[in-house]
Amino acid sequence: MNRNIQLLWNGLIPENPIFRLALSMCPAVAVTTSVENGLMLGLAVIFVQVFSSCTVAIFRSYIHPRIRIPAYVIVIALWVTVIDMILPVISPDVYKKVELFVKLIVVFAIIISRLELFASREPLVPSFFDGLGMGLGFLFGLVVTGAIREFFGTGRIFGFEILDSGPLLIMILPAGGFFVIGFIMAAFNWIEYKITGKIPTSGGAH
Amino acid sequence: MKEIIKIAASLTAVCVAASLILGFVYAKTDHMKREIEEKGHQETIQSLLGYGPEKKAPSDLKIYHVERYVVTKPDGSVVLAYLLPLKDHRYTFAEIDLNGKPGEIYEIKADAAVLNEKATRDAAILSALPKGTKITYAQTLYVADLGDKRLGYVVPGSTQGFKTFIKLMVSLDPQFTVTGVAITYSEEDPGLGDEIKKDFFKNQFTGKTLELLKKLTVIKDPLPAEYAAALDPEKAKKKNLTPQQVKEIKDQHLNDNIYALTGATISSKALTVGVVDTVKKFVYRLDILNGAIKEKSLSVAF
Repeated sequence: MNRNIQLLWNGLIPENPIFRLALSMCPAVAVTTSVENGLMLGLAVIFVQVFSSCTVAIFRSYIHPRIRIPAYVIVIALWVTVIDMILPVISPDVYKKVELFVKLIVVFAIIISRLELFASREPLVPSFFDGLGMGLGFLFGLVVTGAIREFFGTGRIFGFEILDSGPLLIMILPAGGFFVIGFIMAAFNWIEYKITGKIPTSGGAH
Repeated sequence: MKEIIKIAASLTAVCVAASLILGFVYAKTDHMKREIEEKGHQETIQSLLGYGPEKKAPSDLKIYHVERYVVTKPDGSVVLAYLLPLKDHRYTFAEIDLNGKPGEIYEIKADAAVLNEKATRDAAILSALPKGTKITYAQTLYVADLGDKRLGYVVPGSTQGFKTFIKLMVSLDPQFTVTGVAITYSEEDPGLGDEIKKDFFKNQFTGKTLELLKKLTVIKDPLPAEYAAALDPEKAKKKNLTPQQVKEIKDQHLNDNIYALTGATISSKALTVGVVDTVKKFVYRLDILNGAIKEKSLSVAF
């Protein structure tokens, strides 16, 4: 397989930021009370991740290794702020919906960890695909979690009513977020165990 | 030693580059962003008064601004002041002291365009006041007239939310019954506190009279299903409720307290306190302002 496509796939399933790497769990639990919220945050993360990865990949040789973390934080904050300033001018309606999420992104562990682990060592093109893959994987995780929680918590999916009321109110409360993500994570691990025969090792959570 | 200079230089370069980019983007977008915000602001006021894309505002609808200022006089004493539009398109700056007694009145020689922009407005007012006076802008109240009749008021307010301030606007009819609530700025958590913006929550305030507002609290009971449907226009349409039925259900629940959002009691309480406080303060201030207008026999435009 082409390496770039492999990087995309890698971020989506084998190293999914939420279910496999267990990074940026706070926003994943907090925001996924509906599919729409998950989708909006996911889109915002894709933008920031791709732009930050590309920036760091281009300038990686100029960033002194001792100060790489503060430099990455500045890069992320820069892109978040730029999006926060440009988006309301380009599309005020979209901005109204994603405004809250965009401002949350500065502190996401997934973005800085991809900069540290990937973009700071690889050239521009693979970094772009890694960033895109990770962003898509994050979006996928948020949408799946959001769909399950919204359906069981409120009986709706994407705002459309399917059941009259939610059968399990706990699902849209924070505890429900932990349950859903925990079960999906377990499912991922079980599938990996079935395929490889090895018990998966865990990642770190933030 | 050499190392540390390299590190410092590198970090400085990153920061300078970032700030240059930010400065450039800000300079390019700030003007447009403010224009869009101002447009959105006007639309919010119109929609609170019941006009929007579907129902065009009639041509005799007039919305007057009344800006409230805190004035520090040269001798250090503090008074309040209102910038009032007069009938003959002039403006006046009327001081009212903290006990509600009307004070000095200054004529402001400027036209509407100058007084619409905050920076030029402040300068125009200061030029009319004695030297050494300091003014601080507090808020803008909106008075809406339909022809010669008072349509209502739109009052901005703010309240401490879950993380930061919630800015809101309340529209009132001439008897100070709430006709609408809009949230203009908030950073409540999406999916939890952010639900205060939803129709089924904020419409609970509409129809509440001043008397009801004074003893309004938040209760943790679940929102009754039929009330929820009546509060949300889209839901009411889906359930085929006629406007008559919607009105009946709303009237039934008129004396209810505010039903808190599930998982967001703090935000629910914050908005309730904000609305009640905003209305109470406004009614108190308007009373004093009307008294002052009468005493000084000002011919205000509204």
